[in-house]
Amino acid sequence: MPHSTERKSADRTSVLAAGALSGKDAIACRGITKRFGTVVANDHIDLTVRYGEVLALLGENGSGKTTLMNMLSGIYHPDEGVILVDGQEAVINSPVDAMNMGIGMIYQHFRLVDVFSAMENIVLGTKEKRLRDKELKEKISEICQSFGLEIQPEKRVYEMSVSEKQTVEILKVLYRGTRILILDEPTAVLTPQETQKLFQILRKMKEQGCAIIIITHKLHEVLEISDRVTILRKGKSIDTVETAGTDEKILTELMVGKAVSLEIDRPPVNHKSPILKVVNLTVKKPDGTKAIDNISFEIRKGEILGVAGVAGSGQKELCEAIAGLMKIDKGAILYEQENIIGKTPAEIIRMGISMSFVPEDRLGMGLVASMDMVENMMLKSYGNGRGPFVDRKPARELANRLVEKLGIVTPGIDTPVRLLSGGNVQKVLLGREIESCPNLLITAYPVRGLDINSSYTIYDLLNEQKKKDVAVIFIGEDLDVLLELSDVIMVLCHGKITGFLDARKASKEQVGLYMTGAFSQEVAQ
Amino acid sequence: MNRNANIDSRKRTEPLLRVVKRAELTGRQIVLLRLLAVLLALAAGGLFILCLGYNPVAIYTRILSGATRSPMAIQATAKIVIPLLITSLGVTLAFKMRFWNIGAEGQIIMGAIFASYFALFHADWNHWVLLGAMALAGILGGALWGLVPAFFKARYGTNETLFTLMLNYIALYLISWLQDGPWRDPGSQGFGKIARFDKNASLNKVFGVHCGWIVALVLVAAVFIYLRYTKQGYEISVVGESQETARYAGMNVRKILLRTMALSGGICGLGGMIQAAGADITLTMGVAGGVGFTAIIVAWLSQLNPVIILAVSSLFGILEKGSSVVQSDFGLSTDCADVLQGIILFFILGCEFFIRYRFVGRGHGEKAK
Amino acid sequence: MKKALSLVLALAMVLSLTACGGKEDGKTTTAAQNEGTTAAAQDEGTTAAPQGETAAGGETEAAGGAKAGVMPAIAKEDLKIGVIHITDPAEGSGYTYTHDQGIVGMQENLGLSDDQIVRKNNVDDSNATEIETAIQECLEEGCNVIFATSWGFMDTCEALADEYPEVIFSHGTGYKSNGVNFNNYFGRIYQARYLSGIAAGLKTESNKIGYVAAMGKDNSEVTGGCDAFAMGVYSVNPDAQIYVRVTNSWFDPEGETQAANALLDLGCDVIGQHCDTPNPQLAAEAAGVWGVGYNSDMSKDAPKAALTSVVWDWSVYYTYAVESIMNGTWTGENYFAGLKEGLVDIAPLADFCAEGTEEKISEAKEKILSGEWDVFSGLIETNEGEVVCEEGQTLDDATITGGINWYFKNIVAE
Repeated sequence: MPHSTERKSADRTSVLAAGALSGKDAIACRGITKRFGTVVANDHIDLTVRYGEVLALLGENGSGKTTLMNMLSGIYHPDEGVILVDGQEAVINSPVDAMNMGIGMIYQHFRLVDVFSAMENIVLGTKEKRLRDKELKEKISEICQSFGLEIQPEKRVYEMSVSEKQTVEILKVLYRGTRILILDEPTAVLTPQETQKLFQILRKMKEQGCAIIIITHKLHEVLEISDRVTILRKGKSIDTVETAGTDEKILTELMVGKAVSLEIDRPPVNHKSPILKVVNLTVKKPDGTKAIDNISFEIRKGEILGVAGVAGSGQKELCEAIAGLMKIDKGAILYEQENIIGKTPAEIIRMGISMSFVPEDRLGMGLVASMDMVENMMLKSYGNGRGPFVDRKPARELANRLVEKLGIVTPGIDTPVRLLSGGNVQKVLLGREIESCPNLLITAYPVRGLDINSSYTIYDLLNEQKKKDVAVIFIGEDLDVLLELSDVIMVLCHGKITGFLDARKASKEQVGLYMTGAFSQEVAQ
Repeated sequence: MNRNANIDSRKRTEPLLRVVKRAELTGRQIVLLRLLAVLLALAAGGLFILCLGYNPVAIYTRILSGATRSPMAIQATAKIVIPLLITSLGVTLAFKMRFWNIGAEGQIIMGAIFASYFALFHADWNHWVLLGAMALAGILGGALWGLVPAFFKARYGTNETLFTLMLNYIALYLISWLQDGPWRDPGSQGFGKIARFDKNASLNKVFGVHCGWIVALVLVAAVFIYLRYTKQGYEISVVGESQETARYAGMNVRKILLRTMALSGGICGLGGMIQAAGADITLTMGVAGGVGFTAIIVAWLSQLNPVIILAVSSLFGILEKGSSVVQSDFGLSTDCADVLQGIILFFILGCEFFIRYRFVGRGHGEKAK
Repeated sequence: MKKALSLVLALAMVLSLTACGGKEDGKTTTAAQNEGTTAAAQDEGTTAAPQGETAAGGETEAAGGAKAGVMPAIAKEDLKIGVIHITDPAEGSGYTYTHDQGIVGMQENLGLSDDQIVRKNNVDDSNATEIETAIQECLEEGCNVIFATSWGFMDTCEALADEYPEVIFSHGTGYKSNGVNFNNYFGRIYQARYLSGIAAGLKTESNKIGYVAAMGKDNSEVTGGCDAFAMGVYSVNPDAQIYVRVTNSWFDPEGETQAANALLDLGCDVIGQHCDTPNPQLAAEAAGVWGVGYNSDMSKDAPKAALTSVVWDWSVYYTYAVESIMNGTWTGENYFAGLKEGLVDIAPLADFCAEGTEEKISEAKEKILSGEWDVFSGLIETNEGEVVCEEGQTLDDATITGGINWYFKNIVAE
């Protein structure tokens, strides 16, 4: 390894010279297979990305995109198949190997040291001698210029916005001489405006001759940024098409395996009186910062209130505050005119408020992973009935009913829910909440990671509740869905409400602007 | 040029062995794998015995026969099993809640101390009243010792593993102080020991063994039913899985934490009372004698299932009793029995890893193509 | 989650291992303690009415078997003897080893076969259940005589003697007995200590002699032994002074070395000891001076330093006891013998002992053996100037075993 330093700088110049390689294969995967237990995450996948192009890797959650990329970046080792880097067979054992081969990965969750500055994060972990700050800054700004990035090298990460952090991540891999860049769902945390900025950077990199793989399940982004699309479905590579010759419909069909209607029904709201009124609510995080900052809103019976916002804008805290799981700092939550602050979660459940939050790991706090469906059904109702013993009968009946009604795929209601697929887990969770006949249903990210068909089942369930006069607070990620499903959209930014929009009239760009806090309306109450 | 050289050198660096997650095994395969582990353990232990110059088959046979050959042997084995069984049941409650109660040792001791108070100073009471008081005191002592770390965990989020561990030593030194100080046997000529209990304060024998075995069996059933069929048992499972979820479901996590640890400690404390009043008939520093730690292993080996705990702790009892016989019959040091136990545990615990993972050799994955 | 589980398991295993380790230590300590408490034990024995005689009684019986036995005789071939040890005789020196050598000696003297002896080693004396299990295992194998060598086994022996009246329980170093099938045995180790004091007194050049004591002044066994040693020194070298260092532990290898070194720093050139390890002798050897060992012959450990050692020969008792059982003359009385019976003695003198040592020791030994004089006879003054024994008087056994809490006049203790 004595020449590694030398190599690195050689590579950096090769980034700039990569233009010469344009059109040649950067990475070629042949018959890659990876199993986790019985699950075949990747089943003989073939994929090729060339220098000077953006390849979109499209597939629903669980189709094996991330697994494949993890093998390219050295986190997993394929069970079968060959990876060719620059036409040579390569064995990638670790992220360091990957980096040495010029492969860099940007993860959904940033891997930055919060208290370090951008600059420090960029050089962190490189083996070469630490440059003086001035030289380093010059070097960074050189890279920035050539790719159109903007950054303040001295700024600490904890002071940065999400998109700034992403920029640091990108710089980090570029600094290390990356010629092949892999981005895992980079737009999930960005507003539409930030997404545009990112795409510009990617285009610049493409011009410079880099090979880029972008993982996403958002069709319009695929169409916008990529040159070619490789579609994965259930661990298999289904097809690779030229972006220019395709459209959303074709891609969806390839991705889902059949034609799907993308329409969401929206029944009208018949009620005028609010069932829940939140007044000047402030909630603090354990570190003392405000998670929710003086917000007020109300929701009517039979209405779907969509909540939009960049991840971490206070959605979780809002859910937990209403469910009685968080300490309220200020304000009031009036449910049917009664202030529910100070009531225990159990009391709030009994009042008919149901909350289901689907976190990133999907199981989170709504379900008990190692328990079977029956036991999960009793989670909120186990205390019913007299005596010290649990009555499993109603839970068993409910479980059977849900399996039938929602088409939950499971070996049996006695199978631990952790063994069910993501979509089925969410059906179990939402099904239980709906079956508890709530008056107010709070649901956060209910379609997170679901395939398109399952997502539509969930939307239908929510609409069904709406028709039964249940008030629904729907916290979502996908603005298209929010706009189609909700009656009113409330936009959160840094714990504040930046605006209320009529979902029937608003546009995605409008919502995006509110999400960034670029403008906000007076909260019309 | 440069790059090619590097790629070649990379090629060589594929790891010799890789750990790969296994397919979920069926229950039958798991049982087979565990059985295999036991066989391997016996084989490895046999090799060890062979190295010492003894016949492994003879030793194993003697372990088994030594523990079961006569009513007296079975009674002695039972006496070893009783405290282990009760304590394993006690820690199971805590472990089910993912509360790492490493403090069973101390809870046993506190139970024994509390019970000993009545045995030493109220030996004149009616036999059954006295035993009742001692049992209650034992439960109370253990429960208190379990509640202390639970309280601090619930209130200040302290680490219960270290906390319970430390409390063990406090309890142990409490005995040390009692036997050298206030509770010193007046007849012991100044030597630090506690007097043997009055016959009135010792447990009655049923079939030649103190009646603690009946209590233990009742507890097996009780803990089984408690965990599986009661609301509180359900709460424990949920809290164990995720406190967030428990709160979300409207459970009072703090209350459940305290209640369960009181129960866990209480059972261990009852075990201490039974050991002191049934087997030792006095209070000594050895009243727990490591049972609190062995119980942790028993509980996990049994997957926290009370019925399996009964079986596993019996096996541990047989191993211990049997190796004591082997020691005197073959002159094999008792330390060798400990090594043997260690070997067996090593294999059985090791097999838990292989239930979930397997190794893949270098180049094997490619060949499979 | 699984990872955490395995961690905890590993932790648990580690913990249980440490726990075992701790237990081990405990055992050894108590092993030593047993020796210490012997004195206490004796006290009780000798004050008890039938007991006053026992010391003497033991002798008479050995001589003539005047008393009638209280247990039926057991034929030699029917004998099966269980021995409960607190540690392992394989240690090669110290308490358990010495006792086991006694058992081996008895076996040879009486011609018993190997399978007539059942040994239970490493029996934790603080774990009543373990003791009971061990003894019951012996009974299960057909033992009709149990020798329990450690103090902590006493209560269990008492209870089992009650439960199994046909079995004889003989317990070393305790104080309880039932006069039928449960007795106690110990010996006059102070006599040997007096003799070893003579060797020390003659050898010292600096007239400073060190003594590593396990326990402080109020422990009669240790203090009495130290006094006997000091009186032995005084009898040949009235100018020499004894410096005492207390370790407060029966078994503390580290502390014993430290205590010995401290004494050596004071200028002591002979180191006596009442503790379990040969470390004080090793320290003396390292310093190029001399010492007096205890329990077993420590010239094995420190050949250049050990003038002699104060040793036990338990085979004397074991042979006597088993013989009386075979003869049907077992009385169930306590046993307290000394030099005369050969239960205690000093190891052969090293050839670097001072000139005339052998003669002086023989002389004193003669007086003790003839019964005309014992160590605690005649005028005894403490280092505080108090007279604890007048001319013409002899301290009784009760005082010797339980009432010596003063230091002889040539002892310097801080």
